[in-house]
Amino acid sequence: MKKLFLGNIHLIVALLLPVLVTLSCTEIVEIDLDTTYTRLVVEGGVTNDSIHHQVQLSLSRDYFYNQAAPRVSNAVVHLEFEDISLLMEEHDNIPGLYLTPYAFRGTIGTTYSLSIDQVDVDEDGTYESYNASSTMPGGVELDSILLNYSSSVYGNGWEVYMFALDPPSKDWYGMRFWKNSELISPKLIDYSIQTDDFYNGKYLFYGIPIAYYSDDETEEQLFPGDTVSLELHSIERDYYNFVGDAQLEIFGSNPLFSGPPANIRSNIDNGASGAFTAYSVYRASAIVPE
Amino acid sequence: MKIKLVNIGILLLILFQITALDVLGKAVVSGYVRDAASGEELIGANIAIVETGSGTITNSYGYYSVSLRTGFYTLVCSYVGYDTKRIPIELGKDIELNFELTELTTQLEEVTVSAEAGNANITRVETGSTQLSIQSIRKIPAFMGEVDLIKAIQLLPGVAVTSEGSSGFSVRGGSADQNLIQLDEATVYNASHLMGFFSVFNNDAIKDVKLYKGDIPASSGGRLSSLLDIRMKEGNKKQFKATGGIGTIASRLTLEGPLFSDKVSFLVSARRTYADIFLALSKDSAVRDNSLFFYDLNGKLNYTINENNRIFLSGYFGKDVFANDFAGMYFGNRTFSFRWNHLFSKKLFSNFTLLNSHYFYDLGTPEGSTPYFSWISFLDDYGGKADFIWYPMPEHTFKYGISSTYHVIKPGAVTVEDQGGGTTTSELSSNHALESAIYLSGESKIGKRLALRYGLRYSLFNSVGPASVYNYNDEYQAIDSSTYLKGDFFNSYSGLEPRLAANFLLGERSSVKASYARTRQYLQMSSNSTAGTPLDIWFPASPNVAPQISDQVSLGYFRNFMDNKIESSLELYYKKMDNAIDFRDHAQLFLNPKLEGELRVGEATSYGAEFYIKYDFSKFSGWISYTRSKTTRDIPDINEGVPYPAPYDKPNDLAIVFSYEISPRISFGANWIYSTGIPFTLPTGRYEFGGNILPIYTGRNEYRLPDYHRLDLSVSIRGKEKPGKRWQGEWNISFYNAYARKNVWTLNFQQDESKPDITYAEMTYLFRIIPALTYNFTF
Repeated sequence: MKKLFLGNIHLIVALLLPVLVTLSCTEIVEIDLDTTYTRLVVEGGVTNDSIHHQVQLSLSRDYFYNQAAPRVSNAVVHLEFEDISLLMEEHDNIPGLYLTPYAFRGTIGTTYSLSIDQVDVDEDGTYESYNASSTMPGGVELDSILLNYSSSVYGNGWEVYMFALDPPSKDWYGMRFWKNSELISPKLIDYSIQTDDFYNGKYLFYGIPIAYYSDDETEEQLFPGDTVSLELHSIERDYYNFVGDAQLEIFGSNPLFSGPPANIRSNIDNGASGAFTAYSVYRASAIVPE
Repeated sequence: MKIKLVNIGILLLILFQITALDVLGKAVVSGYVRDAASGEELIGANIAIVETGSGTITNSYGYYSVSLRTGFYTLVCSYVGYDTKRIPIELGKDIELNFELTELTTQLEEVTVSAEAGNANITRVETGSTQLSIQSIRKIPAFMGEVDLIKAIQLLPGVAVTSEGSSGFSVRGGSADQNLIQLDEATVYNASHLMGFFSVFNNDAIKDVKLYKGDIPASSGGRLSSLLDIRMKEGNKKQFKATGGIGTIASRLTLEGPLFSDKVSFLVSARRTYADIFLALSKDSAVRDNSLFFYDLNGKLNYTINENNRIFLSGYFGKDVFANDFAGMYFGNRTFSFRWNHLFSKKLFSNFTLLNSHYFYDLGTPEGSTPYFSWISFLDDYGGKADFIWYPMPEHTFKYGISSTYHVIKPGAVTVEDQGGGTTTSELSSNHALESAIYLSGESKIGKRLALRYGLRYSLFNSVGPASVYNYNDEYQAIDSSTYLKGDFFNSYSGLEPRLAANFLLGERSSVKASYARTRQYLQMSSNSTAGTPLDIWFPASPNVAPQISDQVSLGYFRNFMDNKIESSLELYYKKMDNAIDFRDHAQLFLNPKLEGELRVGEATSYGAEFYIKYDFSKFSGWISYTRSKTTRDIPDINEGVPYPAPYDKPNDLAIVFSYEISPRISFGANWIYSTGIPFTLPTGRYEFGGNILPIYTGRNEYRLPDYHRLDLSVSIRGKEKPGKRWQGEWNISFYNAYARKNVWTLNFQQDESKPDITYAEMTYLFRIIPALTYNFTF
């Protein structure tokens, strides 16, 4: 999925990449890397959908571990908000996945706190505890999306435009895109993020496309009657930073555009990695015309 | 501010009065040293007075002046690569004596190169400086056949290339933005074409290049690490001449000659690349449809009004174009300088300069397209300066002057036009600043052995409104902002920059030199990548950004062998830079109104030893440079406060440059470069999140890329010369990276698409062997 957004370095890279591609070659190399200690990794969130909210716990490993990350079972995980404290239960079949005991809707403006206890990541025989919290942002008014068939630097395909009113506050957004019931490229690298720097407090219409479904990619290619859905997330700045950092790291570095590689920020305390975030979800769909 | 300027004016007036005095019983011999064939003035030519053992060198305009007691003298004028001239004079009153030196060419076999190469490197007070003639630069094998002075500079000791193929360079551990690059005294803000693979300097238009690494003259400032002083040719004064070349990637044409009379000469030089043709080879149509080229235009006009007044007008314009049907990017430099040389007396040379430098970029979708997107940025300098050189007696020369430059920086403006017709504009507020300086310096010989150079520069930097400046808290978060009206001088920094150097002659063939220099830098580039991009912007000192200050000491031993045919030196330096700038992890440097919040400031230190052996025999010439150095940054908010190697830190850096005249018509050139791999940050751990594997790092720059080495070769074959035939042609064949070393440009880690638990390291290298063929001509 091509993510298109303003002020983003990707536009420049897209323009200059042909030159670099022509000049450069790549080759897999063997290198020796040092080892490092184990960290707890948290991936969790609360939304305003009525669902069992989830937190996944795993461990970090040395870089060339080359196996699935070990999951952390038997932790005591609490989700606290307002005066409520919920004990999250570990999934019966998926180790390390903790769920709220019942489905509920998170609410905008509420602060959700996550506490993780009774884990011994450094294996020193004493339990550590970890905490994180996130306040659910929101307030965007998403009206609709519009599809437009076009040719662009990426080839032929459908552009997606968003019609929405951004609130006066400083906002951060994430976007996921669906084709019928299928989430297109669900990985973190494909999660499209942006700030409202260019349209704070304004109504967005038919401006810059927010996504592009390419005819050249089987999983993206659209046919008449297909449904395209946008899932717009109003996210916190911390999560925006986390995703932004992570995407820079996955994207890789080159001497022209990249600063030195660096650790991804995390909002979990006590040296853990990952993110726990509360976000509100907005949806809009459009059907591909004949 | 006003009071200071008045004081400066009075000081200049007093200096002027003093310098106008004549001493009884003395007379002045003065004049210009020129190339006999073209009439071009020679910079840094030696004038020795045999009877007194004293001497001087020509200034940047080829002028010299020596004041002596009346009597009989013999003047010896020498310049590297030229025949030496001796002229006996009877000095009763002031006389004007111009030298015309003939270039030594090995093509003329009957000329045995017996002239002494001279020991200027031994006797000069300057430390850490190297002058390269364009002739010696042309002997170096060139990337894609394009002779490039920046690439030659990168082969000198103490100078490290920032990234493969880049035009950026690091001098004694400094950042690439700490080099003051001047073309005919106008600052060139981005010396790169085509992502740095070529520099903006067209060698056909360049006369002389000089790099100052340590002991930067007091007349220059504003950058911490170096001054690269590039002078354009003035244009042949004797005859019309055309020079050009048709190459693999570019073609060049330079026209020069006298205009109307021998008092006026001009030079026009143009270069256009056609890199697009390589894209046409690509299998990918998206690549084939791109246009990609750059061009340069250099022009110069000079007019000798009379023996006391000369004016020069010079300009440069260059632009890069990357474009396809959907988007385009354009960037370029423009420099303009107007200079007036005036001799108040034979002993007081002056130069008045007006300058303009401009750098811009512009990217976005084509005009009229929907949606329309445009991003522009530019920087403008408007400056003026007055420089005076006073030659009261052969043992003493004084220089003083004043300069002021007004900087206008527009960091970025983005315009988006909806298909619905709405327009959104987002503009970062412009920066305005006035950078001024006054300096006084002198060079004195004390006895036969000791020579001193001393200077004091006072620089002043004022931020000028209108401006809106964010105020930051300890966490680098903007809390509020302060607004200043148009014309407000709302913040200023100033300071003294002493420069001292001493040379103690141990004999005719060896000397010991020492120097100390303080430099201050008020403008810096927001770039955290090693090679940089054309989109990097310059930002000024401000209430949030203190000027960078460097203190450097150096000590050198210089020794010549075999009648000065071999020059060697060992220089040691130690440099400490305060308020050194780096950027936070994952800094957002593009279109960021809170750019200053991305800065992290600390200290940087660099020290090293530089070995240099330059040899110049009749058949073969070249140099060997080796630098052993260490540069670290200690910035409390980066790398958890642990000092880390600077991005360009290369403990070992070696260059061997060799050229050999196989026959009068065939010459061979080679250079071999070896350096320690640059510091690099590599992951030690990993974790999973959202279906991706993410890295964990334990320290910045704690690893290094594999060592870099490369061999370049070239062969030049000149056409036969016949009497009366003006056309001279030369074929040049070059091989860049002759043994096809895969030097790592970058190293990345990939997640295997089919087996997502597997990660592997992937290196990117830019070039295998690159052959190129160029035909050069002159008539």
